[in-house]
Amino acid sequence: MAKSGLSVLVLCAAVVLGAAAAADENTPEIKMASGRFEPAQLRVRANIPFKLRVTNTDQVAVEFESFELHRERVVQPGETITVYLPALAPGHYAIFDDFHRGSTAEAAIVAE
Amino acid sequence: MTWARHRGRAALILVGGLLMGAQLIRSARINPPVESDLVAPVEIKRILRDACYDCHSNETEWPWYSRIAPASWWAHSEVLEGRRRLNFSQWDAYASDPDTIAHKLQQVAALVRTAAMAPWPYRLLHARARLTSAQRESLIRWATQEIPPRAPHPD
Repeated sequence: MAKSGLSVLVLCAAVVLGAAAAADENTPEIKMASGRFEPAQLRVRANIPFKLRVTNTDQVAVEFESFELHRERVVQPGETITVYLPALAPGHYAIFDDFHRGSTAEAAIVAE
Repeated sequence: MTWARHRGRAALILVGGLLMGAQLIRSARINPPVESDLVAPVEIKRILRDACYDCHSNETEWPWYSRIAPASWWAHSEVLEGRRRLNFSQWDAYASDPDTIAHKLQQVAALVRTAAMAPWPYRLLHARARLTSAQRESLIRWATQEIPPRAPHPD
């Protein structure tokens, strides 16, 4: 009896840990600083909605923007925001820092 | 005197030739399908259609000068940039990220308040885009009211 209880407990823990891992996997992160993105090419899973965590590591505000993804968000220095994105068809989606347009390095979210 | 007259005529011919040549470079006047038009009160919708929709929707009423280069190049680039920045015909595409919607509405309110929108060259050519103070106030009030509260996104 105690053995089956332990089994159920282990199974529940595995499910919870698995779900947490899956959630992490589906919450990619990107860092911004004066027009630069790290990583510059962020690979995500296609056809699955996801949350993107964007952190501004700079001393000045940046603007995470993508015309193709229809997203535009200001990120204050040191702030981390969550950008909600729908399921993306496989492809290459350009992103840029609209506050540092002149110095924005090429960056993209690549759904595959 | 004769030399100056010759130079003047040559300059006119050159400018005329350049203008004629420019007409060969045509800009496509395309209105893509409307995916999800903004839903707003009738009065607000009328103001937006009059003052904003030519550049910020897929329902552009291409003006006469959009057929004549070089004005056509300017009109074309303004419409493309306007649609990229804010497109009322793709409103639902912003909706899955409430903070993006909030940011767009804040921008609408701010740009209307400072009269940065519609841009003055457009207002000069389009009387209907010259909004009254009351129309500006209505638009600002609507945009401000529509800003979603900062709340956790429904996951």
